[in-house]
Amino acid sequence: MNVASSSDVQSVGHVIKGEFIEGGVEAYGSPLRRFATPALHLNDLVWPRSEPGPAFETPLAEIIDVLVETGKWLARDPDGFAADALERSAVSSPLPRRVVERSYALLPAQFDRAQLEYQVERELGGPVILDGWREMPVAPSGRVHSVRAFPPRIVHIIAGNAPLASALTICWGALTKGVHLLKLPSNDLFTATMLLRAISAVAPGHPTARSFTAAYWRGGDESVEGMLFQPQYFDKLAAWGGETTLRSAKNYIGPGFELVAFDPKTSISFIGNEIFADEEILQNAADRAATDGTVVEQQACASSRFQFLEGTVEQADRYCEALYAHMGVERTFCTAEGRPLDREMRDEINGIRYMEPYYRVWGDYDGKGVVIRSEEPVEFHPDGRVINVVVVPSLEEAVQYANVATQTVGVFPPERKKSLRNALANAGVQRIVTLGSAIAVERGLPHDGFYPLTRFMRWVNDEGEP
Amino acid sequence: MNSFTDSRGAQERSLEQAKPLPPARNRLVEMCEEPDIAFNTPAAILDALRLEAARELFNERVEQIPIIAKLAADAEISEIKSFDDLVPLLLAHTVYKSYPQQFVDKGRWDAMLKWLQTLSVADLSGVDCTDVKDVDDWLSRLWAAGHSVLCTSGSSGKVSFLTHTMADRARKTRHLRWTQAWPFTKPSSNRPIFWFGPMVGRNSAVEMGVSNEENWGLPGQAHALDQQPLRIADVSRTAAMRTRIAKGLAPPSEIAEFEKEQANKAAAGKAEVDVLIDRMLDMRHQPLFIFGLWAQHFMVRERARVRGIPDGDFNSETVLFPAGGIKGLDLPEDYREKITAFYGNVIQIGTYGMTEMAQLMPRCEAKCYHAPPGLILLILDQTGERLLRPDEAVDGKLTGRIGFLDLLYEGRWGGLISGDMATLDLSEGCACGRAGPVLLDTIGRYALQGEEDHIGCAGTIDAYVRGGLPA
Repeated sequence: MNVASSSDVQSVGHVIKGEFIEGGVEAYGSPLRRFATPALHLNDLVWPRSEPGPAFETPLAEIIDVLVETGKWLARDPDGFAADALERSAVSSPLPRRVVERSYALLPAQFDRAQLEYQVERELGGPVILDGWREMPVAPSGRVHSVRAFPPRIVHIIAGNAPLASALTICWGALTKGVHLLKLPSNDLFTATMLLRAISAVAPGHPTARSFTAAYWRGGDESVEGMLFQPQYFDKLAAWGGETTLRSAKNYIGPGFELVAFDPKTSISFIGNEIFADEEILQNAADRAATDGTVVEQQACASSRFQFLEGTVEQADRYCEALYAHMGVERTFCTAEGRPLDREMRDEINGIRYMEPYYRVWGDYDGKGVVIRSEEPVEFHPDGRVINVVVVPSLEEAVQYANVATQTVGVFPPERKKSLRNALANAGVQRIVTLGSAIAVERGLPHDGFYPLTRFMRWVNDEGEP
Repeated sequence: MNSFTDSRGAQERSLEQAKPLPPARNRLVEMCEEPDIAFNTPAAILDALRLEAARELFNERVEQIPIIAKLAADAEISEIKSFDDLVPLLLAHTVYKSYPQQFVDKGRWDAMLKWLQTLSVADLSGVDCTDVKDVDDWLSRLWAAGHSVLCTSGSSGKVSFLTHTMADRARKTRHLRWTQAWPFTKPSSNRPIFWFGPMVGRNSAVEMGVSNEENWGLPGQAHALDQQPLRIADVSRTAAMRTRIAKGLAPPSEIAEFEKEQANKAAAGKAEVDVLIDRMLDMRHQPLFIFGLWAQHFMVRERARVRGIPDGDFNSETVLFPAGGIKGLDLPEDYREKITAFYGNVIQIGTYGMTEMAQLMPRCEAKCYHAPPGLILLILDQTGERLLRPDEAVDGKLTGRIGFLDLLYEGRWGGLISGDMATLDLSEGCACGRAGPVLLDTIGRYALQGEEDHIGCAGTIDAYVRGGLPA
């Protein structure tokens, strides 16, 4: 492309084992949004296996203290790191500024002690097995064994569609006590490094700080990934998102180098006929459904894209009307106005806009939202605040539309969850929630179908006599 | 089975009977009959006429096609004042396959007709959809009612439907006649035609095969693959199969059987191709017209190797027209050079275009593509939101996404945004000595995230050379 540059080159820093470095040497990005990173020295990105990682023997309690302090420090932001990262992210993030701002405001809460402890308790039964070897109850064979959740060595390909994803990875990583290389996503180049700088600020030189490196390289770059993604350096690759990430990751998976995949997913909603009992319930359901449909401007895996409505076409039209009215509302993870739809999505919608009665379309392309009513799901992927409401005779019959790529199903009224959950789980669904709370990710529960801490750890046995 | 081929001369007759295009468009589109003038007219002169023609065309279509009215309203365009005004009015290729696949799978042909109507100028309500058997039958009904609908399929297997009028079709053939071999030779109906695809079917490659026969063929001397007509239902079946696999409804045995069937069909196709290749090689000392995909020409070359036929053993009056993409095929990097060397001193011609384009761009001696007067070529930014400005040129060249408004179509809107990336040399003169600007021979695809490949016919026709579920 020879489009003239219209913006300055952004400097993207790296954190190398707790040390922040800056200095634009390697240039990346599109002509309209360029950025530059420090030179990448591969040797700095690995921790030699000949010695334990810095935090392997640090007590978990101490690590949690550091994380809690980090959260407080983030809230105060004495050095302006968070404000600075917010400014930079606001420029480079695909999300609207106000959503980035509100996401940043929620960062400190990610380091909440109760949540961190709850997660360790739920997933690992407490810190004992992390801090040392836990003796197991006597086995039926009569032998006595000990097990340790041993700190892992992990490369993370982190998600950049919401700033909170970086916080999630860093908290999980710190709790494992392992060493972690974070590959920065080009859609969030600043949050992870800022959080790691915060850790170094509250506990300079602390083993947890030294256990993290965050750097950018072009995803799929064989000269980097071919060297780093080896069992001699790392045990696991924890990869979020897109098909391309996973496709490139696949080349390196082999004995001793395991993939922990946070697969790309689609989320949906199931709305029962009960909502038509009275106008208030209808409005309540529409508000919840709009919340789930617009969450992270519909850029997240948990964002609802297809909503199955139990009822008649006439009822569906009433629901769509209400849903559309609730879409242009300012919420924590979305703006009221959204952003104009891109031309591909506009073209898809234009292709069916004039096909009443088969389809009916509410809304325009300014960004507030579009609702499409149909009797079969549309064949494109609704994106950018586009919700396809599919009329079904019963929610049970909508189960056929859930599949192995379905993450969250928001159900309303919540009483309907019980009778649907086995069928949905059987279809491949990972998470069933009350409509309106798709984004309310709870620590200590499985994430994307597995317990992340449990999955991250290396499980090692000491068998027989102590 | 209806013959999908017109009788010889039928197209010319339909053109004689057709209503002439409005004045500015007519003037531009008819210029193709004198390509030496058409492709050597300074852009400044053509552009003024083109703008007038675009204005004329828009004023008409905005009243006829609801989508165009919607796009115009969204962009607050009530009149075409500059080429910039055309950009928001370009359609993505996906719009031509935006119908629900269920309509086809469940045989809701009236609903399909209603969908097609939203993209058509002509009133389709007269098409009889009673007892339509399958999608090919539906297409036949459309054709019988005077709506020539072409199909393309991308790798997803979902079929696009592009309608145009019989007169559009005749004008396309006429455009091809005068420009396809320009500036190397003029068509004359004196060559046996070889086409490594079917002469029966509803896609642009088949249409091209038919046009080639009409423009170049010695009567009774068209050699093509005609044992297996191109059936759109087969393509739709692939799409349905994909859906079944995605839904987890297809047991492994069904998938295996489907793949086997595809492989068998490909093998049968391959056997037929081999016969055709041998026939062509036997006739290589006569002037021929050879039309095929690059991959097929490579097969010809390999067969010639086996038969001990050296490079350059063809008649120098043979016209060679290689086309198509090579995605997913195992060809050496220098396949073009190898094929060109194999045919040797023949008249090799080339065009740039796509199914959605009626007036293809011929390639000159300097290997640059010249835009016909009736084609408004638009170089867009990567997102396709705006025209690149001349002051964004680097070394006098603009690289961007290709969009165009084809001024020929009476049956539908001719504005499209493609997934192709190309470089336009803005110089007033091409290296061949004629007027610029021209597209350089470096056209590629924008690699868009998650974007399936388009450029229609290649995927479908490839089923004749290779099998399995399309990648």
